[in-house]
Amino acid sequence: MTDVLFPPLSKQTPDSEGVLATWFVADGERVREDQLLAEVQVDKVAAEVPAPAAGVLHRLVAEEATVRQGSVIARID
Amino acid sequence: MTLTDTGATTVRRLTTSKAIVEALAQEMERDPSVIYLGEDVGTYGGIFGSTTGLLERFGPQRVIDTPISETAFIGLGIGAAVEGMRPVVELMFADFMGVCLDQIYNHMAKIHFESGGNVRVPMVLTMAAGGGYSDGAQHSQCLWGSFAHLPGMKVVVPSTPADAKGLLTAAIRDDNPVVYVFHKGLMGLAWMAKNPRSLDEVPEGEYVVPLGKARVAREGRDVTVVTLSLSVHHSLDVAEKLAADGIDVEVVDLRSLVPLDAETILGSVAKTHRLVVVDEDYLSFGVSGEVVATVAEYDPSLLATPARRVAMPDVPVPYAHALEYALLPRHDRIERAVRAAMTS
Amino acid sequence: MTTQAPRTTPETRPDTRPDTNTEIVGQRSRSTEPLDPGTRVALYETMVLSRVYEAAILREYHADKGPGFDIGKGLVPGEMHLSAGQEPVAAGVCAHLTVDDAVTATHRPHHFAVAHGVDLRRMTAEIFGRETGLGRGRGGHMHLFDPATHFSCSGIIAEGYPPALGQAFAFQRRGSDRVAVAVTGEGAANQGAFHESLNLAARWGLPVVFVVEDNDWGISVPRRSSTAVASNAVRAAAYGIPGERVEDNDVEAVYEAAGRAVSRARSGRGPSLLEVHTLRLWGHFEGDAQAYRPDLEELPDRDPIPRYERALRADDLLDDETAERIRTAAEELVEDAVDFAKSSPVPDPATAADYVFTEETS
Repeated sequence: MTDVLFPPLSKQTPDSEGVLATWFVADGERVREDQLLAEVQVDKVAAEVPAPAAGVLHRLVAEEATVRQGSVIARID
Repeated sequence: MTLTDTGATTVRRLTTSKAIVEALAQEMERDPSVIYLGEDVGTYGGIFGSTTGLLERFGPQRVIDTPISETAFIGLGIGAAVEGMRPVVELMFADFMGVCLDQIYNHMAKIHFESGGNVRVPMVLTMAAGGGYSDGAQHSQCLWGSFAHLPGMKVVVPSTPADAKGLLTAAIRDDNPVVYVFHKGLMGLAWMAKNPRSLDEVPEGEYVVPLGKARVAREGRDVTVVTLSLSVHHSLDVAEKLAADGIDVEVVDLRSLVPLDAETILGSVAKTHRLVVVDEDYLSFGVSGEVVATVAEYDPSLLATPARRVAMPDVPVPYAHALEYALLPRHDRIERAVRAAMTS
Repeated sequence: MTTQAPRTTPETRPDTRPDTNTEIVGQRSRSTEPLDPGTRVALYETMVLSRVYEAAILREYHADKGPGFDIGKGLVPGEMHLSAGQEPVAAGVCAHLTVDDAVTATHRPHHFAVAHGVDLRRMTAEIFGRETGLGRGRGGHMHLFDPATHFSCSGIIAEGYPPALGQAFAFQRRGSDRVAVAVTGEGAANQGAFHESLNLAARWGLPVVFVVEDNDWGISVPRRSSTAVASNAVRAAAYGIPGERVEDNDVEAVYEAAGRAVSRARSGRGPSLLEVHTLRLWGHFEGDAQAYRPDLEELPDRDPIPRYERALRADDLLDDETAERIRTAAEELVEDAVDFAKSSPVPDPATAADYVFTEETS
């Protein structure tokens, strides 16, 4: 089981929140390592979230939800 | 790396903007004469995400920020193309065509003809188009009908991420000038309301969609909806809803305006005998009239009921949200038109 | 032509300090070397060829327009803009070019086409609208395209400047020292494309020479009533590039100034502007009565070709025999081109819609 984290985008305010803008993979789908999972946004800066491992993705956060940086947004097993 | 189970493959989805970037990256890798120039295409990655990451990958000689000089840099693209390069030049908004139209329609589009075929202009002119996010009359237009009306340039308008990649690849490889129009509402941007289908599966590796071929996005028996760009998805939404009422809608995604795939349009109408055209560009003297005329010239008796056109009326796009959405060719208007086509 | 490493790019160009070098060049300064005789006679020959050509087109154009003047009639229908009087600009500039350099010209293109080495037969056939023309009869006199000499022209004022930028860009990108010469009139210097092009070429250090033919008239509007500054050489300074103005339609002054500008471009030091105060001997277009023009009677005295001939004779570089030989040679070339055009086939109407698109892909 591997955690997928919301990447740290804002260094000034590491506790700030961002948005999970787009999921590229459906819940329960199989992914490759490095496959594009999601795009997140903090203060208008966008970033891609690649899969840290291969496996089946379990989404924990809905699209357009507000998320704290560094928190777990999905799990892969 | 963990092996996946046999038979279970991963699905690789991209937004339209990422599909465009992938097409550009693959073509720039393949052909060193492919360059991308326009306003804010470098560090910024394109105002609507058309070039994200390309500057880092290919450097400032290949991905070039220009001054706000559309006439000069579009003309520069023309001259470079004449000398054998393959420039892709971005006009930030289709609405800006006014400030540089001469280079586009009197030069880019005509040099091949005026030279009796002796000079080629293998150039792509990309541009963002479309409304629905309150950008007002000067920043929400589609205008693909205006480009299609002027001879000498191909015009393509993708609706899906896969087509965005495939059509752009084909456009870059084509030796003719190609106008490539991407709807902002399809780009999958984090900062604009996303249509769910603006994120979809995109083939990896080399992927070419031929110019001049429409696609039947949904097969149906009862009525043909001919449409393009974001309106394809609204039409598909309406088709799904109407299926429950026993109305089987065929949705034809034009994909190209020049060349226009008349064969697919006529084949569909010959089957269903009912036609609705959905176009976010202005109603009069444009794409929807062209589609109806194509059918009428071929055989008016194909139509059991009069053709309907659902388009942006001949009105500048209003700023206020309620006003804009009263005029856009969205679900309510499409559904009313399809139901009307079914009855009379 | 030697190839060299890529020239300056927007990132590697040393500084952005404007290089304002505005000169008014009237007569050749005595401190400079006189031009060698071969160059001088060659300039004269080019000017004579160009004038003989225009005279032949003038003759052919008017031969069958009557009775009266029906613009759509005859073997050479449509508008016609002839360059008589402006030969010094073309001759002086093109003497520094090879066929590998690009030239974009205006609606009044023939002198530049002739001076740059465009094939006279194919050019004339195009003017006559024949299948053997540069554009297979599709373009006509304002839309001459010759890939062999990288020559093109456009009927839209100032819009020939931007594509010249692109040609220069491609030359630079490939590491050559080829240049693009972009020609407009003084009226075009008030059009947006002119200003955008100067700025972009300057900012990107492109190997372009901007040539402005100031023949005093934008059709019927004199420069002094259209233009806010006395000279477009001054405007060059606004874009940080050198600008020179040559007075008096002096072919040798043009030659020297163009030499500086071309050399600058070839050596990677970027674009320049060269304005020449030249002379439109005939109307804006053929059929232009020029009622607006007060100086018509004195024009023949200002014809640059007899004036230069007198100068060469005074220096013993020309006599009756050589002048006659040059003229005869020009007439033979030109009449051969006209005969070729007249005996060439007219395009088949069934092919009228051809050449809109090419079927080729990469």
